[in-house]
Amino acid sequence: MSSLTLSKRRKRIVWALPFVLLLTVLYGLHYGSVSIPPQEIWTVFLSGGDPLYRQILIDLRLPRVAIGLLVGACLAAAGALLQGVMRNPLADPGVIGVSAGGGVAAILTMVVWPQAGFWLPAAAFAGALASSLAVYFLAWDKGASPVKIVLAGVAVNALLGAVTSGLMVVYSDRVQAVIPWLAGGLEGRSWHHLRFMAPYAVAGLLLSVPAIKPANLLLLGDDSAKLLGQRVELQRMLLILLASLLAGTAVSVAGLVSFVGLVVPHAMRLLVGDDYRYLLPLSVAGGAALVTLADTAARTWFDPIELPVGILLACLGAPFFLILLRRRKRLI
Amino acid sequence: MTAIQTEHLQLDLGHFQLDGVTVSIPEGKMTAIVGPNGSGKSTLLKIVSRLAAADGGEIRVGDRLVQTFKPAEFARALTMLPQSKEWFPDLTVQEIVAYGRSPHKRFWENRMSAEDREAIEWAMEATGTEKHRDRLFHTLSGGEQQKVRIAMALAQKTGILLLDEPTTFLDLSHQLDVMEMLQRLNREWGLTIVMVLHDLQQAAAYCHYLIAMKHGLVVAEGEPRKVITPRFLRYVYDIDAKVRFEEDYPIIIPVQKAKEDSTMVIVTNTSQIKKGHAHKLIERFDKVGKVEFMEGFLGLEVLLTENTKDYEEVSVVTRWRRKEDFQAWTRSSAFKESHRHRDIPDYILSNKITFQEVKIVREPRTAGTEPAETAQSAEQSGQAVQSVQSAQTVETAETAETVEKIG
Repeated sequence: MSSLTLSKRRKRIVWALPFVLLLTVLYGLHYGSVSIPPQEIWTVFLSGGDPLYRQILIDLRLPRVAIGLLVGACLAAAGALLQGVMRNPLADPGVIGVSAGGGVAAILTMVVWPQAGFWLPAAAFAGALASSLAVYFLAWDKGASPVKIVLAGVAVNALLGAVTSGLMVVYSDRVQAVIPWLAGGLEGRSWHHLRFMAPYAVAGLLLSVPAIKPANLLLLGDDSAKLLGQRVELQRMLLILLASLLAGTAVSVAGLVSFVGLVVPHAMRLLVGDDYRYLLPLSVAGGAALVTLADTAARTWFDPIELPVGILLACLGAPFFLILLRRRKRLI
Repeated sequence: MTAIQTEHLQLDLGHFQLDGVTVSIPEGKMTAIVGPNGSGKSTLLKIVSRLAAADGGEIRVGDRLVQTFKPAEFARALTMLPQSKEWFPDLTVQEIVAYGRSPHKRFWENRMSAEDREAIEWAMEATGTEKHRDRLFHTLSGGEQQKVRIAMALAQKTGILLLDEPTTFLDLSHQLDVMEMLQRLNREWGLTIVMVLHDLQQAAAYCHYLIAMKHGLVVAEGEPRKVITPRFLRYVYDIDAKVRFEEDYPIIIPVQKAKEDSTMVIVTNTSQIKKGHAHKLIERFDKVGKVEFMEGFLGLEVLLTENTKDYEEVSVVTRWRRKEDFQAWTRSSAFKESHRHRDIPDYILSNKITFQEVKIVREPRTAGTEPAETAQSAEQSGQAVQSVQSAQTVETAETAETVEKIG
């Protein structure tokens, strides 16, 4: 792989992704139990158009596509940042306990207060952030090294997983509503959810821009980064906080969507290298496109059944990931 | 002028200690820190570069205490190349060297200034890596990768560069390449260079100043020519060697270490015999029972001195691994059998037994020749004692005063 082809490839991907993203959005708006022709989409947005189309587009598809974009973007950004912070290409938001914490909080909410569906995102968000903070501070011993964070994450995940299973067994009658959420999906997500997540998602994505530089420096390893005058512990803590904000936001609305945070940054890394100036924006775009596309597929392919997008992503993601690993082996 | 001054650095990690390390690193010079593995060299570098903290003591860079520097400020004064085979990100050479500018930039500054670009170009030129600027780090050879890492440190434009074993993973030609490059940087730009080296010859050939450590202590420092002596090698590395300098290179010829210090016991039974009767004693001795089958028996000689004054002397010398082996023989039934019914013949005037416990030190006669055979194998193959003696220095550790008569 010569550098010429790397920089060429970077350029091509940078140019291609906006189009991919646009097509994905159009596909998501267009496709469904009622297909809406692209020109009708324009008419609806510009001048009102057909009332039925308008209702479907504005009330159903637009918020769902927007949520898909944000969820994918947040998960991929979180995964990309964590892979750098942990210096481990196989890290994903699950490592720092985000998913497990969100899951427990969501189930507790349903058990304690079954009518509180409205507050589910807020509770999951709080749980996700709380457990990632717990992981970080459990790992702290004059600094939180990546290895300790991973170990603390394993411990916290195991504990929270046990709590989740326990609650589901004991209160099996009350947790029906939570099962699709645990599988990770966007069914029935609407403006209410978008309004909840959008500020955090946008804030997190905007904060990712200044995170690019420290993420790049941490890639060199703690010692080299320190010798370059960086406050490594502080930066790592802030990056982990940012990653848990991003992942927690996604989890709050979409539930436990796995693999996006792992596969998208990993695939992008193979295409454009480790430089976060390329890796992060491309992961954000790639994650957004992937989740939106997969969600459109999940709600239409198996019509009239809607499959949770998390299941579809895992089904597609697992083999794809194995292919990536095999390819990587050849490269090394 | 002193670039770095440490005062009484203390560190106790249980298994490892730094014990009051006080060193002055001269400014604008090349300094090597040498010493056996685990002597604290790398730890010292890490503490000086603030990667690790000491339990006590002070470090000054220039005339400022290191803890008064802000992180970025410190990274503009001093940097280090860690000993590393660590994973490095997949970036081009120029991108990696550009990292070196980080301490010169504010957090929000991303654009490279003219000064930054100049520093990056200088660092790549000084290390000869500019021709690879667009290549990915991982496509370079080990030696080139090391130069890129040095270039990144140079781009920091610090006055002091520490290197932890910069040549360890390189082949000889790349080692010399890197050392010469560092020498050039020192000469042309007055860069203060401090490195941990394992190769004493390179340390002596390229460095002005040598610091030797052992067990967390500084045990020698000064000009390499004055420091590297046989005494130094024995004390610091526990090796016996001859040292001679060829230009700036010390030639160190190790003397093979004694593999083990073994001992043996020499029992000398000397009898004074009436003139002309010596052969009788020798005949008589032939009848002494089965000594060659005894445990711990190493050899036997019968020495005859004729015509001394008015008597002759016969010495029967037996060599044993331990005194107990000899005693076991005198108690053995074969020995008792051969001595029974025998009176001391009248031609024996007197008889004396001495025990000598000796230490065997094996030394090669000259470097390069075969090491001496062991006493045991020489004896067992029936060689004359003379040849064994020539290969051994036999130190008499103790001469027993015991005088006995064999009944």
